[in-house]
Amino acid sequence: MKRSLIIVAAIAVSVALCGSLFAVTPDEMMKKSQAAFLYQGKDFKARVMMKLVSKGGQERVREMTMLRKNYGPAGGEQKYFIYFFQPADVKDMTFMVYKYPGRDADRWLFVPAINMVRRIAAKDKYSSFVGSDFTYEDVSGRDLQEDTHSLVKEEKYGGKDCYVVKSTPKAADMEYSYKLSWIDKADFLPLKEEYYDKRGDLYKVFTADEVKDVKGFPTITKRTMKNLQSGHMTEVTYAKADYNVGIEDSLFSERYLKQPPKKWIE
Amino acid sequence: MRKFSLVEFSVEHPKLVVVLSVLITLLFMTQFPKMRTDTNPKNMLPATSDVRVWNDEVEKTFGLYEDMIALGIVNEKGILNKDTLAKIRRITDEILKLKGVAARDVSSFTTIDNVTVEGGTLRVAPLMTTVPEDTGGIEYLGKMLYDNPLFLNRIISKDGKTTAIYVPLEKGGNGKEIADKIREIVKKENGDERYYIAGDPVARDTFGAEMFKLMAIFAPIAGMIMLFVRYLMFRDLFLSITLMMDAMISIVWSMGLLIGLGFPIHIMSSMAPVFLMAIATDSIHIFNEFYFRYRETKDKKKAIIETMHAVSRPVRYTALATAAGFAVLLFMNIIPVKVFGGLVAFGTISLRILSFSFIPAMFTFVKEEKIAKIAGTEDTSMGRSSQFLRKLAGFGAHHPKNTVMVGLVLFVIAVVGLSRITVNNNLVEWFKKGSDVRVADSVMNKALGGTSLGYVVAIAKDDDYIKTPEAMTYIEGLQRRLEKLPVVGKTTSVVDYVKRINRVLHDDDPKYDIVPETGEMIGQYLFLFSMSAKPSDLDNVVDYPFRRANIWVQLKTWDAQAMKSVIEAVDDYKKANPTPMEMKPSGIAYFNLVWNHEVLWDMVKGFVLALIVVFGILAFDFRSIKWAIVGYTPLLFTILLVYGVVGFTGKDFDMPISVLSTLSLGMAVDFAIHFVSRLRQRLKEAPGESLSDALLWTAARPGKGIMRNALLFAASFAVMIFAPLTPYITVGAFIVSMMLLSAVMTLIYLPALVTLMQGWLFKGEKI
Repeated sequence: MKRSLIIVAAIAVSVALCGSLFAVTPDEMMKKSQAAFLYQGKDFKARVMMKLVSKGGQERVREMTMLRKNYGPAGGEQKYFIYFFQPADVKDMTFMVYKYPGRDADRWLFVPAINMVRRIAAKDKYSSFVGSDFTYEDVSGRDLQEDTHSLVKEEKYGGKDCYVVKSTPKAADMEYSYKLSWIDKADFLPLKEEYYDKRGDLYKVFTADEVKDVKGFPTITKRTMKNLQSGHMTEVTYAKADYNVGIEDSLFSERYLKQPPKKWIE
Repeated sequence: MRKFSLVEFSVEHPKLVVVLSVLITLLFMTQFPKMRTDTNPKNMLPATSDVRVWNDEVEKTFGLYEDMIALGIVNEKGILNKDTLAKIRRITDEILKLKGVAARDVSSFTTIDNVTVEGGTLRVAPLMTTVPEDTGGIEYLGKMLYDNPLFLNRIISKDGKTTAIYVPLEKGGNGKEIADKIREIVKKENGDERYYIAGDPVARDTFGAEMFKLMAIFAPIAGMIMLFVRYLMFRDLFLSITLMMDAMISIVWSMGLLIGLGFPIHIMSSMAPVFLMAIATDSIHIFNEFYFRYRETKDKKKAIIETMHAVSRPVRYTALATAAGFAVLLFMNIIPVKVFGGLVAFGTISLRILSFSFIPAMFTFVKEEKIAKIAGTEDTSMGRSSQFLRKLAGFGAHHPKNTVMVGLVLFVIAVVGLSRITVNNNLVEWFKKGSDVRVADSVMNKALGGTSLGYVVAIAKDDDYIKTPEAMTYIEGLQRRLEKLPVVGKTTSVVDYVKRINRVLHDDDPKYDIVPETGEMIGQYLFLFSMSAKPSDLDNVVDYPFRRANIWVQLKTWDAQAMKSVIEAVDDYKKANPTPMEMKPSGIAYFNLVWNHEVLWDMVKGFVLALIVVFGILAFDFRSIKWAIVGYTPLLFTILLVYGVVGFTGKDFDMPISVLSTLSLGMAVDFAIHFVSRLRQRLKEAPGESLSDALLWTAARPGKGIMRNALLFAASFAVMIFAPLTPYITVGAFIVSMMLLSAVMTLIYLPALVTLMQGWLFKGEKI
């Protein structure tokens, strides 16, 4: 009798577990998506080409090496080190970010022309990343606790089965009133995001244009953010993307900001 | 073989003619539901015109908006207090939600980027994210505002009593609708603050809306007064209505045609109905003569045909002259000017066709006894008004030299006045002094940098040139130079951002509020700025390859001439300081300047051409250059006098005045044609009469028609003087004085000139 009870209980627990495993909650979807998108591997390195295209078709190019290291689980602390190649007059400029969940990041910028490192404080939520259509938050991820997430529908996008999750910021200080994310059911990468403004109009669209396998991690190597209202657009391409390259902690320091080690930036 | 006579046909088959007229009218009326309006003066220049192509390019290059509304918030106790700041925040939040507002680029305390340095940290954030709770916070906010030249005179006035929220509009956003919604938003707030809404789109779209309202009110009022005055003159309601219908039918025909052809109704063409009503009054000559003839013949049909015979030539030629005066506008460059010219010319011709068909047909329906009764009161020698007209003409005929001398003196004075006329247009001044639009504009122009915006675009030959210290220093020098102009309130350029970053990077040391020494520094500062601020901040002032810089020039007046002085100052500066950069003006203020030049000068050109054509028609009608010169003189004189007065009053030659110029010509020529034709006819019909008697007869009989025409006109247009928009007041005052003056001039000066020059005029002719 006792044994059969235990069996029943065990079955019940495993069924419950399986159930929750198959029916992922929207919060978990977003968490997994963030992990797949921004926290893959221990560290990450890529040569980033950023093309800013104005409504009139004018272009500006930013070229940089981006180094990233995780300090903790997905959604946790991260450090970024960025070295600029282009535009030509900012060559040797470096930029460092300590990202914390739940509060604004710390940032330092090295200005070679006057040999000075300055801390920069800006709002992650709306500040543009180097003049692009991406905000800092778009580049390094948003604190998922700040939104309520709900599953709107499941549909195919670009031939892939996706969850469509609606994320509504809890605070009113955001530029958008809500965001829809198309999350690939297979690898949890966000394939498309739509941002709706306070009037309920779609105004910003993110698309993952190319996904490649890098060291076994599906990685978005080409992405676009388009502002439908201003007509402005930013295209980002990752070349030489690599994971687990062994970035030392010491890299993320003011000393290396001024003199970035060649082996990391090339 | 008799030639087909429209008049005789109409008298024989009056019912058929009336039914036909009504049917054609109904046909044109079917087009009315397709009506589209376009009140944007901008569209008077085609989208392919140089200035619009260039302005579009500048807007695209720098991510600018064509239209911007400025909401001024004034608190006499100063706006830097918790209450007012909270209001600014609430109002901004609400404005951001409005449809048609380019929310991402609204400039207000809570949205504008502020670059500061605190404890070695560079901070880029909206100026005010939360309303400061204590005096310390408020003082700090004040310091940031006053220390930053990018803010001073833009979002804070020097005295701290005024702030502004700048609301750019998406393409196609309606300025009046958005302004009305903003008014609703601020209405919810109570307190000491006063709110002012200014900006070109508000003025323009408010004007457009008001214009159509006024058209709907004043055109019918003018029509009703015309009807009433006609009734007083002829004592017959039926005939008064007939005359009215004549005008209405032609209005329906021409507007129907315009709409049917797919043209939108512009500001100019919206004035056409009033103009046609004016031109239609010419048919009063038919009535005038009809009553005289009826008295003589006592046979209605015969009187009609005789009347038409007597007046047909002058009526035909006045119509031809008026139509031609407007038709020359068809050869101008500006499309709405062409449309307007064609529209009125078509309406004038329709009017004349109606005069020879519809009106005689309607005459036949009037009972004979009634005509007899009214005609009894019409007598050239007895009537009091006829007496007066005789005296008027007698003055000219008996004292021709004095009359002409007085005329010469007046002529000289008029020319002096004329030389003072400036071709200018100021949209804001289309509103009355106490109107919301005008008050808002003057309050904001007094407190802040200026509501009218022009740009000066510096164009270099090479990419990245703008980032060089010499380009920066040059632009800075130009800005200081422009700011010395009294019409310029404030200028902003990429240099202001670079200087700001330089200072902030060096711990806010005012010593560094200068252009940095090297291009590298400038490039890196700009990059640094772009790393955190809104991209539009930089995009608005510099293009992508750093080859072009956009200098914002805020003007304190909407006078088209203000931008001209900016352009001249730029040219002077360039001459004194050579640079490889080209400087090109742009923006709405520049557009207004070009518009002013193109549209108004096009009208001036059209007017001059019309003067020539009308002279030609006069010469052709009179079959005599001499008579044409004589007939032309009072007309030209009237026009000169009216414009002379315009010059003395300091009124600009703006759009309404320009539109009127052709009308005034078309109307004034009528009087000359009637007078001269009928005089010469009289000389032939009554060979024994002396010249001065013939002149007096002409003044008393067709002259009465002229006077009636002028009075009718003046009476109905006088109502426009009470309109709330100045262009309508102008139109009203202008038409009233034009008509009265032109009638008096014709009746005094034609007799004087004819008497004085009879030897020359009648050389080879038998008197």
